[in-house]
Amino acid sequence: MYGQPYWDETAYYQFSLQQIENDIEDPTAELHQMCLAATERVVNSEALLTRFAIPRAYWDLVHTSFHQREPSLYSRLDLVYDGTGPAKLLENNADTPTSLYESGFWQWLWLEQNVNNGQLPRQSDQFNSLQEKLIFRFADIARQKHIQQMHFACCKDTDEDRGTVQYLQDCASEAGLAADFVYIEDIGLADTGVFTDLDDAPITDCFKLYPWEFMLADPYGEALINADVSWIEPAWKAVISNKAILPLLWEMFPHHPNLLESYYADAHPSLQGREWVKKPLFSREGANISLINGENERTLSDGPYGEEGFIIQAFHPLPRFDRNYTLIGSWLVDNLPAGISVREDSSLVTQDLSRYLPHIIL
Amino acid sequence: MFLSACSDNRQPADIYTSVDDCTSDNPDAADECQAAYQQAIDEAARTSPKFSSVADCEYEFGPNQCRQIATDNGSFFMPFMAGFMVSQLMSPRSYYSQPLFTSYSPYSPFRSRWVTSDGYIFDGDIRKRKYRVKSSTFKPKPTVSRTISRGGFGSSVRAKSSWGSSRSRSGGWGG
Repeated sequence: MYGQPYWDETAYYQFSLQQIENDIEDPTAELHQMCLAATERVVNSEALLTRFAIPRAYWDLVHTSFHQREPSLYSRLDLVYDGTGPAKLLENNADTPTSLYESGFWQWLWLEQNVNNGQLPRQSDQFNSLQEKLIFRFADIARQKHIQQMHFACCKDTDEDRGTVQYLQDCASEAGLAADFVYIEDIGLADTGVFTDLDDAPITDCFKLYPWEFMLADPYGEALINADVSWIEPAWKAVISNKAILPLLWEMFPHHPNLLESYYADAHPSLQGREWVKKPLFSREGANISLINGENERTLSDGPYGEEGFIIQAFHPLPRFDRNYTLIGSWLVDNLPAGISVREDSSLVTQDLSRYLPHIIL
Repeated sequence: MFLSACSDNRQPADIYTSVDDCTSDNPDAADECQAAYQQAIDEAARTSPKFSSVADCEYEFGPNQCRQIATDNGSFFMPFMAGFMVSQLMSPRSYYSQPLFTSYSPYSPFRSRWVTSDGYIFDGDIRKRKYRVKSSTFKPKPTVSRTISRGGFGSSVRAKSSWGSSRSRSGGWGG
């Protein structure tokens, strides 16, 4: 695996089939199962729900959602992997992962074009079944829930999110679902307690690219309990996407090769002799991260998060290829590993403007 | 790479225009027919398309196809139920019933077609009475008479967006 300069239009990452299957695909499936086991423990424990900063009023909502196995669409594990040795889980973006279109559609198109014009050998492959799995999963969800229509929602003024949601609408349509769109800010509440779109049509099944911790904190949070919406992602994603799952995983599966040592920030052993990263429970896009070395704490990125608490995680630097730090996003559709995306950043903390690069298997 | 839609669980369903119509087709199920009809009528009252003027309703459904409903909050117009679709009428566990509408208006896509409360149009014209439908066809939509407020989601995102960032970005809450 090696990086080429990003300004080169042919830049890509190359993996062997063994690297993909043994080092990424299998650990991804296993890590996901471990996260589900941890989630089950959390939804059944008041102490852990408190630890995860889930407001008490929504404990039932989250618990019920998990116990009824409300279906999940997708998630993305962020992995540190340098081409040798076990990939390490940095975090689980299970609630609102983006860069889906780039991974599922654009990356595959790039491969086809480069193979067809002879830039890449004909036997080049890609770990990428994202689009077909998404379509299949939508058809599956439609069958399970007995629906033929769904709403899709994201916030206003976010071109990137709107693009992600449009891509998912296209996948849902391909699966035979009618896909209506509504902005999060435009959702209404009807006299009967159900949520409505701008045509006053009831929202019964809705994909939302909007974090659960925000939904629960918003004024309509209380209305969630009676609105009887099947949300995708479902409410239990508030637990599995929470960074408090990282110390819990370390507690449940200590020294697992794909985990980084991790603790709650208010309950940890001596930190001497190693470097640690401190992250808020709900941080997104790499916000509010600091580096701890002995007694010193150095802020790596600013942000608005942190009042909900922090975790610390053993510092494991991203591998550096050329001048860039590289992070692997490993996708799952439901429980199935479905492909990877590679992102690069010139800083050690990957933020959401990171460059996106395609990959091949050769 | 796209899947064909052949694997869903379709079930046979019949459309009847009256209780008698149903009973003559199912002589041993007069009670079930009556119940299915009543269930569809109740569902129609709840979920059928509603219009504030008779002209709007008749534009969609045709002359004399609408009736006025008076409520505490004023009156509105809705089309008459034209038929009801039932499935698994003789099943010991449960059967499904839902109201159907049709249009006599030359301006409507529903003209001479069977259409559900939420606007799903069945293929073929109203002479077609036997279908194979997905079970989702029978999942009722909740009632909405009016939206009382909007904007209750999205305030947390505004609060988190207000912090100064050196990164120029188009936003987005993905990770």
